[in-house]
Amino acid sequence: MSQAYSPNILGFLCNWCCYTAADSAGVGRYQYPPNLRVIRIMCTGRLDPSFPLEGLAAGADAVFVGGCHPGECHYQDGNYHALVSAALVHEALARLGVSRDRFLIEWASAAEGPNFVKIITRFTEQAAKLGPLGSSEGLDPLVLRTQLNLVAEAARGRKLRTGLLNASKEMMKVGDFKRETIADLVHDKCDKTLTELMGEFAP
Amino acid sequence: MHAPVSNPSALRTIGSVLVVGGGVAGVQAALDLTELGFKVYLVEKSGAIGGVMARLDKTFPTNDCSLCILAPKLVEAGRDPNIAILTKSELIALTGEPGSFTAKIRKQPRYIDEEICTGCGQCTMYCLKQIGDDYNENLAITNAAHIDYAQAVPTSYHIDAKACLKLNYDTCGLCAVACQAGAIRFDQQEEIVDIPVGAVVLAPGFGRVSEEVLGRYGWGRFADVLSAFEHERLMCASGPTGGEIVRPSDEKHPRKIAFLQCIGSRDENCGNNYCSSVCCMYAIKQATLAREHDPNCEITLFYMDIRTHGKGFDAARERAVAEGNFRVIYARPPKVEDVFDGGLLLTWHTEDGQHQYEKFDLVVLSQGLEAPDDAEQLGRAAGVELNRYLFAQTGNDAPLATSRPGVYVIGAFQGPKDIPDSVTQAGGAAALCSGQLAAGRGTEMTRAEFPAERDISGEEPRIGVFVCHCGINIAGVVDVRAVRDYARELPGVVYATDNLYSCSQDTQRHLTEIIKKHNLNRIVVSACTPRTHEPLFQATLREAGLNRALFEMANIRDQCSWVHMHEPQKATAKAKDLVRMAVAKAAHLVALPEQRLPVTPAALVIGGGLAGLTAALAIAEQGFATTLVEQGGTLGGRALLLTADRFGDDPRKAMQTLINRVTRHPRITVRTKATVASISGYVGNFTTTIAGETGSEVVHHGVAVIATGGMAYEPQQYLYPDSDRVMTQLELEKRLAAGHPLGAKMKQVVIIQCVGSRGEDLAYCSRVCCGQALKNVLRLKALAPHLAITVLYRDMRAYGFLEDDYRKARELGVIFTRYAADNPPRVRAGRGKASPVKVTVFDPILGQEVEREADLLVLSVGIVPEDPSLLARMLKVPVTAEKFYLEAHVKLRPVDLAVDGVYVCGLAHGPKTMDETIAQAQAAAGRACQPLAKGSISPEPIVSHVDPDLCIGCGACESFCPYKAIKIDKEAKPRKAQTLTASCKGCGVCAARCPTMAIDMGRFTLEGIRAQIEAFGKGV
Repeated sequence: MSQAYSPNILGFLCNWCCYTAADSAGVGRYQYPPNLRVIRIMCTGRLDPSFPLEGLAAGADAVFVGGCHPGECHYQDGNYHALVSAALVHEALARLGVSRDRFLIEWASAAEGPNFVKIITRFTEQAAKLGPLGSSEGLDPLVLRTQLNLVAEAARGRKLRTGLLNASKEMMKVGDFKRETIADLVHDKCDKTLTELMGEFAP
Repeated sequence: MHAPVSNPSALRTIGSVLVVGGGVAGVQAALDLTELGFKVYLVEKSGAIGGVMARLDKTFPTNDCSLCILAPKLVEAGRDPNIAILTKSELIALTGEPGSFTAKIRKQPRYIDEEICTGCGQCTMYCLKQIGDDYNENLAITNAAHIDYAQAVPTSYHIDAKACLKLNYDTCGLCAVACQAGAIRFDQQEEIVDIPVGAVVLAPGFGRVSEEVLGRYGWGRFADVLSAFEHERLMCASGPTGGEIVRPSDEKHPRKIAFLQCIGSRDENCGNNYCSSVCCMYAIKQATLAREHDPNCEITLFYMDIRTHGKGFDAARERAVAEGNFRVIYARPPKVEDVFDGGLLLTWHTEDGQHQYEKFDLVVLSQGLEAPDDAEQLGRAAGVELNRYLFAQTGNDAPLATSRPGVYVIGAFQGPKDIPDSVTQAGGAAALCSGQLAAGRGTEMTRAEFPAERDISGEEPRIGVFVCHCGINIAGVVDVRAVRDYARELPGVVYATDNLYSCSQDTQRHLTEIIKKHNLNRIVVSACTPRTHEPLFQATLREAGLNRALFEMANIRDQCSWVHMHEPQKATAKAKDLVRMAVAKAAHLVALPEQRLPVTPAALVIGGGLAGLTAALAIAEQGFATTLVEQGGTLGGRALLLTADRFGDDPRKAMQTLINRVTRHPRITVRTKATVASISGYVGNFTTTIAGETGSEVVHHGVAVIATGGMAYEPQQYLYPDSDRVMTQLELEKRLAAGHPLGAKMKQVVIIQCVGSRGEDLAYCSRVCCGQALKNVLRLKALAPHLAITVLYRDMRAYGFLEDDYRKARELGVIFTRYAADNPPRVRAGRGKASPVKVTVFDPILGQEVEREADLLVLSVGIVPEDPSLLARMLKVPVTAEKFYLEAHVKLRPVDLAVDGVYVCGLAHGPKTMDETIAQAQAAAGRACQPLAKGSISPEPIVSHVDPDLCIGCGACESFCPYKAIKIDKEAKPRKAQTLTASCKGCGVCAARCPTMAIDMGRFTLEGIRAQIEAFGKGV
């Protein structure tokens, strides 16, 4: 890997917390690596599970999603639903043989400019260490991108989305918002569909 | 009184209001008033609005980030064309009559033209004169040319006249050279302006306990003794240490922190006998955050009484103390000493008289609140009376009215209080102004008029890109011209240019011309952040005849040039990427129709007690028809059980006046022995069926106020209700009001506090019982001075001016004995039916159990809300575990419920006193009249919409929507989801979870975001 490698990072930031934190980092002139490109969304709850996958397929080496701290969502619980979408992304990456560290969902409140900077700096360093998507994993980048596009399409499909909405329903019912619990829920609800789908990808 | 203020000899009623003070109370009052149709002059002494709340790191009890929840309100106030913010200004005289006052304002110069300043900060960078940073409690340094804080409104810098070298010595002047916008005005002079207003709201906030008082505890002498305000700044990520709590003496993390309470409060020595009401809770907050900053530090809190009487406060405190493993000591260390080997020594006496001492690394003084420094001056200027502590004098039944009709007071100047109570009062004062000035509603308002929108639906995208230099803020790092040239080549772009300041007035005019000249139909501005500037550009679009949704911003300043200052090439590359992504999204933007939904100009008030009556009257006074529903046969509710207030007046008289006023009011329809059978609809358009004795009737209304009240807890302990000698406070009130309340042989009265409250049957503190007990103790003492009275309590929560009653009771010889929750008093009957009951309690001062023979045992029982289950389900509003209605936001929306158009007040919200209930009911009335006064509601068009061809009617969206803004139309076959545009807030959870992708969001469409992602990929 050449010294000059600089990862391409795509970010989805919620308007009320993380996007504001990014702005306030600017007001405070905190410096961080210039790798992130941000798409503003009103709430991380808007994050379609296909977006991060599509981002990776489009050329991102890593994707970041930034929202409000748990319990502080401007819309009450959108960030919990984002965790459900995120769990699917992680699950898909694992099955594709891609490091889960290429996708991060984290929180920074509107006042936490410095915290946002820390998160992005660390994530950029981590992505740089991982190297370019695909080739670093020993996968053919072009094949991997095709596969990512197919999973993204599946994430827009009824089967996976039904699994996710059931996971979200159960999460809200039980009220346990721990990442591991949500990951297990998503695994339970989407395993069959993903296995069917990923089966086609078996190298 | 509730008496509406009439505007006597005024020739006309002026539809504008002066608000003095730009803290959270004043800003909220201003926002509420403009929503109600009144022009506001917001006068602020300092250079920016925001007040103390802007300086706080977090707010209790939820530890929400303070500025994050405040800043949007400040921006809103700053943008509102009907709020004129006058900074560095003060009220110096008020003449005239209610409805037609003239306010004389003295305005000090800022020396920087607010209209021209772009907030770039060049002046500060070049300013040679350093001064203490007041915002950071002088723990940091700023310059004479400065902005108070990064998010300050107005977003304009100003110059400290006392420090500026140019103004004082006619040297320097570098800022004028550095300012590319040319905003520096050294020749500005003080101005005196006369402003005609119909009413005045005083919200000057609070002053600080003097440094001399802090000095008694070592502040100023020992570096590691901090005031709580200083500690707050240390905790804050934007504070002087970047959010690290370090000892000023050695910049190390303190291992042992002590919080000393009641500094300058409950202290006759400094003239402040009152309780500052907020310090107990803010100390808990600060302790919790200190613990978060350093999980190993030990925290000790020294309390006299723990006064965490607010809604949910006790629970928050108990959790914090348990989780943080805080040590809570009931003692008041009299001083702080330093010792030879470092550290700060505290000495104290425990309740059992033992002498203790210990060293700490850091001591935080919980500094109390005082009347503002210029209270007397303001009182004279406004012509209002002050109380002995120099707070504004108000009455029990008109808590927001000053001694001068047409002048109202809110926030800490009315008495020490926290943020939600201040915000509540702001809403209440807005309602009172709105009632008083109803005739002038809308007369002073500026309404933005826009030309008709051009229909662009058939056009190919013709995108215009405007790249901003922001002076040198962007151009100093990013090659703006290269970005502009790059933009010209992007698909769909027909025009691209660069501007020095895109936001300046002349650029806005230029933009309008270019849009028309080049027939542009989508606009991308590549500049700062949409969070602050989008509305400005959107207004320009509308002036050019474009729908405001046809706009997108690329944030190349806050998220690019400012954060990559040393990497100009990479920053330029990033700016190009961001512009390309914005242009890609813009190509997919479509015009979104501005929704205007009509509002039924009527209100429904549920509950005919003090809260409901007050709310109904305040709504009707503002000019709207009101239906009041009461389940009982008469009006007045349980407030009629109170027979005296703490000033000795009989509140039943005021209640009767209120009832008469309501029943005779031409706009109020009263329905007693009636209940709400069903409610449906949404804000502006509710339909309610009221079931009465003679059948049911259907009422249409735009808003609803819940004032269903509460009742006394029914004790089952301490021999109640079996012994004649045991009674509740309310029963005592009744006896005190009767002719001969006390038997001739009565020698001793014992009162037990917290019966059933704070962890027995009711988990919460009922807030009013301590004050009520003190009031009745004083009434008993007035009737029988030799009567022995003992009050058994856990914490005497005599907050605010109630502390005066507490002191007076002790001076009259009333004995107060603290009991622990795990060792409550025991009561047994005497031998005969007529003999006194025996009360045994452990006395911590004596260190042993004592027994008292009580001729009368009075139980201070808590407040239980009326069961909310049915109504809450009908309205789909949440309630707390304790069955109180849960407000939309505990700090900033204290009377709104999560469902728009539904409000709460009184005991249904939580236990509170009569004056607090009145203020809250008036606030609910003010908030409720906002949609009514507007006559229509126009939700932001970023709402969800459902494609019925794709929808399978599964109902997932309905179950996830936090606002009940999307629902399955059960009538339709097959079932389809439908957006309730009025309720939708545009979060997009429904879209992300829809199994068939049948839902899309306005402006944040699937196609738009996918285009952004795709465009991102093109740069890779």
